[in-house]
Amino acid sequence: MMTVNKVLLASHGTEGAMAAEQMAFKMCGRGTHLHHLIVVPGFWKGTTGDDWLTNGSTRDTFRRYLEAELGREVDENFVRVGTTAVERELDYTNDMVVGEPDECLLDSSRQQDYDLIILGSPRPKGKSGLRSRMITDALTHKLTTPLLIVPYPDG
Amino acid sequence: MVYTQKSPALLIIGIIMLAIWGLADSGIMAPYIEHLANGKKYKYLGELTTLPLYFGVVATAIGAWQLFGSHREGHWDYYSSSIAGGMFILLIAMLVRWFIAPEVAVVGTSMGKVGDTGKYIHKLLGLNYVVLGIVAGIVIVNVFRVPAWAENGVRLSRLGLKTGVILLGTLYSAAELVNLGGLSIVMIGFFVLGSVGMVLWMGSRRKIPNSMAGVLSAGMGVCGVSATVASAPVVQAKSVEIAYTIGTILLWGVGCMFVFPIIGNLLGMSHVQFGAWAGTGILNSAQVAGAALAYQPDGIETLKVAEIFNITRVLVLPIIVVWLAIWYVKREGEAAQKVNVGAVIFEKFPLFVLGFILMFALSTTGMFAPANHYKGKYFGNTAETGFKEEKLLKAEEISLLQAEAVKVERVDRKQALQRLVENGKIMSIEDDTAIRGLINAKVVSKDANKILKKAHKAVRHTAKKIKKFRQWITWLFAFGLVGLGMQITVGSMRQAGGQPAVIGGIVGFTKAALSLVVVMMLVSDKI
Repeated sequence: MMTVNKVLLASHGTEGAMAAEQMAFKMCGRGTHLHHLIVVPGFWKGTTGDDWLTNGSTRDTFRRYLEAELGREVDENFVRVGTTAVERELDYTNDMVVGEPDECLLDSSRQQDYDLIILGSPRPKGKSGLRSRMITDALTHKLTTPLLIVPYPDG
Repeated sequence: MVYTQKSPALLIIGIIMLAIWGLADSGIMAPYIEHLANGKKYKYLGELTTLPLYFGVVATAIGAWQLFGSHREGHWDYYSSSIAGGMFILLIAMLVRWFIAPEVAVVGTSMGKVGDTGKYIHKLLGLNYVVLGIVAGIVIVNVFRVPAWAENGVRLSRLGLKTGVILLGTLYSAAELVNLGGLSIVMIGFFVLGSVGMVLWMGSRRKIPNSMAGVLSAGMGVCGVSATVASAPVVQAKSVEIAYTIGTILLWGVGCMFVFPIIGNLLGMSHVQFGAWAGTGILNSAQVAGAALAYQPDGIETLKVAEIFNITRVLVLPIIVVWLAIWYVKREGEAAQKVNVGAVIFEKFPLFVLGFILMFALSTTGMFAPANHYKGKYFGNTAETGFKEEKLLKAEEISLLQAEAVKVERVDRKQALQRLVENGKIMSIEDDTAIRGLINAKVVSKDANKILKKAHKAVRHTAKKIKKFRQWITWLFAFGLVGLGMQITVGSMRQAGGQPAVIGGIVGFTKAALSLVVVMMLVSDKI
């Protein structure tokens, strides 16, 4: 297995992403820098766009609720991955960004000199979850860092 | 933070508007306008030679100031930042209304009528400036993305729609409002409660979480995304449940906006019937307005009916939110937050409905049109009240009516027809009502009916203010719907899936089909 010192892990708590987390823990030795990226898909920005009948107060209440809900989900993932990373004595950092998943991953990969990027594979058909793909043609063409796509747990 | 961007966009928009005005006003555009008119009279020449001038001057002046001036933080800065986006939407609405929709009509006409329908393809599909405007908005946001300088202004579209509904209040007579209000309360009451109950029942059968069932039932039952936004915090919906629900509603709403007018055209539905069906069967309130204007782009009778249904829905919303909140607390017990019924109703009350009621009340005082107006028109059979002497019936027309009078049996209609024959014009508002009934009953021949219609039109006058309101309403809705199109992303629609898509599909289809049957069986052509 290759030796890695700086790993970028993109994971947001789905089954595929959790398989990627486990692979990252296997590959990272003590002291390895593991940067955990969570992308909140950009479609959320336009989710309430078609609403026009409700008043400003209702819309603000919804926005605050949705932000809190998304924030809670992100925090839960950071805590879960971070706890295991600390137990394994990894150098753990994390970041949350909003936008198109592939573009955000590309931006993030350019910010540091990573040895490897680890992702979960796309969800198989029939499995529920948000439709927001990180692995796109644009990503694979533009990425300059080695990419490891971990198979889906029961796939 | 300074919101106003030093972008040349608004200045360019202003110059484009002025160029459109210049080309139209100087006659350079005349051959193209003749092509768009397709052998008929081009309907928008009045608008084309005025509106781009007014808005072009405003956009150019403010655009130059935004580009070359200095800007500081504050309320004015935020309002200023929304002008470019607002003008961008307006420019798109202008291009679609004046050029793109007529061009589509030219192409549609050249393709001939579709089968046995007797209609051209663009009429059948409802491809008019309203639908094409929404499509233009959807294409812009999904293919090109809304430019950063336009983002604040795109949100203004909500203001356009709400202002349109408020002004619509001037066009209802008291009788219309009572009849439509009663019909909408019965229809909305039955179908809203029915679909909310059906989603909750199906949700428990399919064992979906209470939070998902709650948010989906509001969205499917009441007014689509608006109801989802209002109910999600109350039933503590998870983010994925919100995404599923909104995706399902948007997909259904956009689909219905195209499919409903086609079905309406094929079934030959009246404006009242279509407005009632769209107002009940289409999930999302924005698409209700879109479908109503798509069905009747050059009049607002359908929109008037559909908007009464929209208003009824939004008035029902606080009640449904309270119901769901209590239902959720009962189901989830300690995990759920307690409900303050009064606060929920107060917070969710749609304030713009008060504006609608106020405009209606002002209208009934005769402020905008003479007090006895009906559907924005008033009766007048003297020169002082707008009657023109050349509109008196000719001798041969009177002879034809006399010959056909024997076919009329109802006493009030017979007497009204007799007075029309004696005077060459309709003599009272009661006679006019009777003659209108005679026209609708189609008792006399086609030619005689034409004469009756002519006599009716001669004594019905649209008040100038009402005429202006109609124009503003049309533009406000066109503006609002283009802007709303710019906020419908494929990314959101793609989230339709999971159990909400299955349950939503079944409930949405059932509601649309059942409401169609009810409307066709119980709703008459006229209100």
